[in-house]
Amino acid sequence: MADLLQLLLAGASVGAVYALTALGFVAVYTVSQVVNLAQGEFAALAGLVAISAVGGGLPLPAVVVLAVGTVVIVAAVMQRLTIAPVKRMTTLLSIILTLGVSTTLKAAMLLIWGAEGRGLTPFGGHDLTVAGVSVQAQQLWILGVTAVVAVAVGWFYERTLAGKALRACAEQPTAARLVGISIARASLLSFVIAGLLGAVAGVLASPIYFSAWDSGLALGLKGFVAATLGGLTSVRGAIAGGLVLGVLESLVAGYVDSGLRDAVAFVVLIAVLVIRPGGVLRQRAAAGI
Amino acid sequence: MPHVNMLDVGGLRAGYDKLEVLHDVDLRVGEGRLLAVIGANGAGKTTLLRAVSGLIRPTAGRVVLDGRELTGLPPERIAAAGLAHVPENRLVFPSLSVADNLALGGWTRRRTGKGAARRSYILELFPRLAGRLKQPAGTLSGGEQQMVAIGRGLMAEPAVLVLDEPSLGLAPRLVGEIFAALGQLKAEHRLAIVLVEQNARAAFRVADEVVVLDRGRVVTTGTPEDLAADDRVHAAYLGGGYPTAPT
Repeated sequence: MADLLQLLLAGASVGAVYALTALGFVAVYTVSQVVNLAQGEFAALAGLVAISAVGGGLPLPAVVVLAVGTVVIVAAVMQRLTIAPVKRMTTLLSIILTLGVSTTLKAAMLLIWGAEGRGLTPFGGHDLTVAGVSVQAQQLWILGVTAVVAVAVGWFYERTLAGKALRACAEQPTAARLVGISIARASLLSFVIAGLLGAVAGVLASPIYFSAWDSGLALGLKGFVAATLGGLTSVRGAIAGGLVLGVLESLVAGYVDSGLRDAVAFVVLIAVLVIRPGGVLRQRAAAGI
Repeated sequence: MPHVNMLDVGGLRAGYDKLEVLHDVDLRVGEGRLLAVIGANGAGKTTLLRAVSGLIRPTAGRVVLDGRELTGLPPERIAAAGLAHVPENRLVFPSLSVADNLALGGWTRRRTGKGAARRSYILELFPRLAGRLKQPAGTLSGGEQQMVAIGRGLMAEPAVLVLDEPSLGLAPRLVGEIFAALGQLKAEHRLAIVLVEQNARAAFRVADEVVVLDRGRVVTTGTPEDLAADDRVHAAYLGGGYPTAPT
């Protein structure tokens, strides 16, 4: 029983990081049908910036602001330079463009930080043991911050006019333009949100899962699988998809073979694409963010 | 005419890629007037509205709203300048509630603080919507969705309202309600309205002026009474028969 709980906790904690990454995919995809393959790099970059900032002696809040700020700027510049100039965006074109950005970011990170992976110092607090399950303080940070961010994202899309405007762009771009919403600005805002979510994921995950120039690849793929599980356009779906994927990985690694951990995401992806190409949670018709 | 031209379209040419659909179209609408644009399928009615509201870029000509030239601007700027386009097939935001659809209609006026007053005016105009504010717009009937689409356009406090086939696929009773609302809007609100319609009979009843579009050109223009007396117009658009070839 304690084994199972331990695995569930580990799965939920890594799943929360996948969920934040998946939310980044959803934020961008709904507005502009762009699959942003640099989403994982946002997290890696944030982790590395945070590690350097801690090394420079900055306190944690300043570290977080610096890491998130850097990534948000990178995401906004990326949108202006590679996405905004394209007149007729298709998903395939977006994959090629964002793959290019992803490769560029990886090269830049390799040049700046070198090849070695590093972990950010944990945020603080004591690790504890509850009912035979050992809980790392950083896992609680991950779960707590993810919960807060997920609620904030849901609130933004469901309660604020700007969030509703982004949903309007996703559901009826023509009508959105006719009421005066600029699709270009909506797309820029969606990249800022994706940058923010990626950065939060990267900083939160770094103390446990490490950051390296290429750590965004696996995270990005798994975040994408999580988003696909939820239908690629649903906030709730992305969160659920991330948690499900994380827990599934953890159970497979714990009960079957830890070498199979990374295979889980791909088996899930293939299964989803074959059985429910619209996503597991997706309702028909409306893009229910 | 004694009134100012709110919308003045002159020499407009537009189309898709290399295919020109509109050839040199002129039309004018004054404050508190309703201009009906009728024509067969493929006459260029939808293209005309899309070129006026900026969804496609005109290749020549001008679009002037209340003295201000808007030709070639993107639709979000034209909307902000005071032109509301209620598109073909309504295009409501399906997962958003009726209230949210209306709120987004007021996007360009979101900082004026007058959204609540505009909304209550719209709910007086379309009382059916009052009980459905929290319902996702995609779950409404076609007629109610059309009311949401028109209400959404009105939330921007436009000077000019252009509507693309608002009667399409609706029950006659709802068509009546919607056209009555248009009459009220031009009378009470002094709106300049351009109404594109296949349903010429219904359009003739509310129009002050009618333009007949054929293969991308204005072929006739006049009051509904004049045009109803024109045998060719009557045969083609009001009688249900096919026109004889013009000689």
